[in-house]
This record gives sequence, C-alpha cells and structure tokens, in this order.
Amino acid sequence: METNIKSKAFEELAGAAAGLMNPAIEAWKAAGRKVVGYFCSHVPVEVMTAAGVLPFRMRGTGSTGTELADASFSSINCSFPKHTFNQALRGEFDFLDGLICISSCDHVRRIYDNWKQQLSTPYLTVMSLPKKNGQAQVDWYYEEINILRAGLGEFLGVEITDDRLRGAIQQVNETRRLQRQMYELRKRDRPPISGAEALAVMVAGNSLPRERYNDLLRTLLADLENTPGRSGYRARLMIVGSELDDPEYLQVIEDQGGLVVTDSICFGTRTMWVDCSETEPDPVRALARYYIQERPACPRMNGAQPARAKFVQDMVKEFAVDGVVGERMLFCDFWCAEHYMNKADLKEAGIPFIQIDREYILSGKGQLQTRIQAFLETMGR
Amino acid sequence: MVVGGCDVGSTTGKAVILDGTSILSHFIIPSTTKPETTARLAMDEAVKGAGLSSLDDLAYVVGTGYGRLKVPFANENVSEITCHARGAHWMNPAVRTVVDIGGQDCKVISLDAKGKVVEFAMNDRCAAGTGRFFEAMARVLNCGLDGISSLENQGANPATISSQCSVFAESEVITLINEGIDVTNIIAGINGAVANRLFAMVRRVGLTQELVLTGGCSKNDGLAKALEKRLGIAVTTLPQDPQLTGAVGAALIASEKKSSN
Repeated sequence: METNIKSKAFEELAGAAAGLMNPAIEAWKAAGRKVVGYFCSHVPVEVMTAAGVLPFRMRGTGSTGTELADASFSSINCSFPKHTFNQALRGEFDFLDGLICISSCDHVRRIYDNWKQQLSTPYLTVMSLPKKNGQAQVDWYYEEINILRAGLGEFLGVEITDDRLRGAIQQVNETRRLQRQMYELRKRDRPPISGAEALAVMVAGNSLPRERYNDLLRTLLADLENTPGRSGYRARLMIVGSELDDPEYLQVIEDQGGLVVTDSICFGTRTMWVDCSETEPDPVRALARYYIQERPACPRMNGAQPARAKFVQDMVKEFAVDGVVGERMLFCDFWCAEHYMNKADLKEAGIPFIQIDREYILSGKGQLQTRIQAFLETMGR
Repeated sequence: MVVGGCDVGSTTGKAVILDGTSILSHFIIPSTTKPETTARLAMDEAVKGAGLSSLDDLAYVVGTGYGRLKVPFANENVSEITCHARGAHWMNPAVRTVVDIGGQDCKVISLDAKGKVVEFAMNDRCAAGTGRFFEAMARVLNCGLDGISSLENQGANPATISSQCSVFAESEVITLINEGIDVTNIIAGINGAVANRLFAMVRRVGLTQELVLTGGCSKNDGLAKALEKRLGIAVTTLPQDPQLTGAVGAALIASEKKSSN
C-alpha cells in the first residue's frame, strides 16, 4: 500500500495484512511450531497463546471469487464466509494445524460443517458463544473455554495450565496496550498514521507470532514519532461495522479526503480497547468475563446496545470525529439492526452518519467514492 | 463572471454555461465510451452556443456525475448529490425533495431551506428504477421511450410487475405480452414498478414538499403520474429542463468557488 511511513516494521506489518501466509509464519512452522486459525474476535486467543501456538484470525484476503464455495452455502449467505471458505478449498489454509470455529453468527457458523465435511485440518472444533451478557452466560462461557483448553491441549500434547493462561493474558494485554498507544497518535490534529495503515497494523496482529508482533509494534511506535503528520484532510471519520480486514476499503474513503481516525470494528478497537483482568485469580474466569461482558460488545450480543452506542459516542468525543461511517456486509442481520439504531442515536446527538453496504471483497469503488464524497459535502467539508 | 458545469452521466453528458444568474447555453449529448470525450463534446457545444470563443473563456468549471473524475478541464469535481440539490433549489427555492432518475442510478435527496443536502439515499447497484430499465422495456414492447412516457398510454389497470430485478422484470413483461394483457396496462405497470421503488426510497429519506423529479427519466410523464399517485402529492415541475439539474448545480458551485477564491 502507498504510505508515508518510512519504517521496516510497518513494511512487515502491512505485508502480513496483505496476504495470508507470510515469512514469519513460514519460519514458525519450519521450527516445528503450530498455527491454529480462528473465526471471530470472541474466541479467546489467550488459550492459543498459552498453548504455544500461533493464533491466526481467519479472513478471505486475496480471494477473487466464490465459485468453489457457492455450492456449500446459499445465495443469501454473507460474502465473508463464502470467500474465506473459497480460499480454504483452494488450499490457501493448508498451513493450519487447527481451526476453532464459533457460533458468532449463522453465516460464519456454517463454515464448521462445510470445513468438517470437505477439508482435513488435523484439529477442528466449534465453540458455543452465548447470546446474552449476564452471569449465566459468563458461567457458560467459562465451561466452553475449559472445554477448548482441554481439547486443544490434548491435540497438542500440552497442558494448558492456569499459569500459562495468566502469562498469555499478560502477553495479549501487552499487545492491546501497544495497539492503544498507536491509536493515541490518531487523536492528534495531524495523525502520523492513516486509517488504512492502522487497519493493516491491526490485521497483522492476528497473523504474526505474538512476540514478534509486539516487537514490531514497539519499533513502529518509535518510527511514527518521526513520521510527518497528515494534514489537508476534509474531515475526521470513524468507521463502525463488522468484519472489515481490507485496508484498501479505508483507502478509498480516505482518498476522498475523509481521514479515518478511529473505529468500532472487530479488527480494531473492539479487540483491544479494554484489557482482560490480570488480578482475577482464576484466569478462565477472567477470560469468560472479558469476552462476554467486559470487552466492547458486538451487535451479535443481546442486551448491550446502549453500551455500544455509548462506546461510539465516547469515541467520537475522544477522537474529535466529524462523521461516522457505518459499514455493513450485505445479508448481515446484526449490523442492519445496529446501524438502524446507530443512525437514530447519532442523529439525536447531532453527529453525521452514513450507512454503506458492502461485499467482503472490495467492489463498486465508484459507488463508494460517490457516497463518501457526498457525505463529506453534506457535512460542509 | 462566466462559469461552466459539466455533468457526465452514464447515458448522457450535460453542459451548462452560466453568467451570474442567467443560463447562457446548455447542451445534452449521448455519452460516448470515454467520459473525457463526452465532457469535451458537450462543453464545446455549450461554449459555441454561448457565443464564446473557447473553454478558456470560462472562469471556473465544476465536473459532476459518475464521470466527474475524467473531466480534464474541470477545476474541481463535486458529487452529483450536492449538484442536483443546488440546481433544483436554484430553479425553485421551495424544493425540499429531489428524486433524480438517471441512466443507471436513482437517488432521493432531502434538502433544507438553503438548498443544503440533509439526507440522501442512492440505488446504483442495479438497473431497477433507472433509464436502463426503461430502455430495455421499450425494446421489449417495441414502443420507444415516448411510448412508455406518454400519458395516453397509461392503462387504467396497471399490471403488477413484482420482480426486484429489471432482468427478471423483462421476463415478467414478456409473459404478460404472451398472456395478451393490454399493452397500455403493461406500460402503466412498468411505470408503477419504478414508482414503487422510488416511493420506497422517498419514504426512507423522508418526504417534504415541494418534491421535484430530475434526470432524464423525469421526462416520463407516466412515471411522474404513477409516483404522484403513491405519494399523494403533486410533483412540482421545474422551470428548466430537469435533465440539466446536475450541470446547473455544478455551474452554480463553480460560480461560488470562483468568487471565494
């Protein structure tokens, strides 16, 4: 991607985000270590990190079609599982030693059945994610995480002890802290990093060995201190939506003059704005509470909409956001309802909002450009 | 101060030359395969029509429309949403809702008393509700666009065409023809189907009078009548060719930009 950031660390991070396999994963595997893929930001990466595997967040990056996957889905399924599964059928995920699926939504849920039937990844499991965020659901997810821990541990021949989990929680929190530091820079009037660039860094965080990623982040933060801030933009935007892992999508928005300074997306702040507790003595309890109650919620969770609305509005204030872009993939029920409510809430608060539908793979660039340009003009910018 | 507005659409290119508050000339041409060529041809004719010697006589030019990035002589480009709102509001300051039905997209724009865009909704991902759909239907019925538009041809019992997709709608129409349904009822049904779509978009954005139609398809009287029936209000007619609305808006913005520079 085009960038003003002169940084070898950024180059490696952007490279990891631009494809699936990368040199660091190759080296990891060559050293005999394992990679476990996972769908959805509710899967506790800490368990995988504690087990000593590389957690790889699944995406369909590089897919150009769904002709192989179409037969395994319906015409009203979301394009994200279709493209990701298509990549799998093409062999692009043969490097995975395991895959953790989850009942995050009905579309992604179906990947597990299809994967089990058609592919031969050595370890395959599906987690049951509660729909609500009360104590009963925390207790339920506590059990789910222990089931995962046992199953993954058995597959690897490793005991995922409480101590290892505590260590992993600290490691992952360190990642979160460094990522938040990067976002701090975007509060500036002249941020040294754009939305597209920041998304590349975030996506890389789920595609690299954790220690390496944390080191790269530290180097990047130092490099960003020497990077000229971006000026001459028309407005500061916040992007809110679901599975967005393509920096190019934000690039199209930013090329119109709308600098994306923050977000609520699941490759963005929702994974790192809050830390998992390091003081709760039972690490599995800490994880269960974090993923069900404490992390910024996703619309697939019932009962948390007021908190989500507050999260967006707090972000708007913190980052001096001029307008909110709500993106949603076609056929997504959760985000359809969420943006309906976002629109009403933001209108009441006097914050400009536009909803834009998209497909998983960037298409209709002209249509996106027109809407963003019109949105900026409507804001008087 | 003489300025220009150039609206490069999918089906036609429009150019308007404005001097202060008077439209000196305008021109509409069918789009070529290259937006820059379309822009140039339309503007050259408008320049001639205004009695100017060349494009250089224009103090400022704003491009708009889907081909707006390819207007080489434009000083800047502005989205067609903003331009249609400005153009319609200038033509009639009472306008608050603009329904633009173009060659391959349709949109509804809500504006405030100053002509500023408040809200908009666009359909630009399919041919339903656009000029492309009418062209296809005119071919199937062998009646020309005038045949679809003429008020005399709007049957009293419009056929229901339920397909969301204009390709499937074409199949539906052929079935109706084969069943011997009166062609005037088919025509009324076609206009009704598009009116339904536009009506839904107006509901999404919110209806405030006065409402006007812009874009090439606004010249379809049958469509206007079908939309009025659903909205329960009269559609206000614009004093200039509604197809020029975008280009007029672009020219007005050119005027403002040049004055402030």
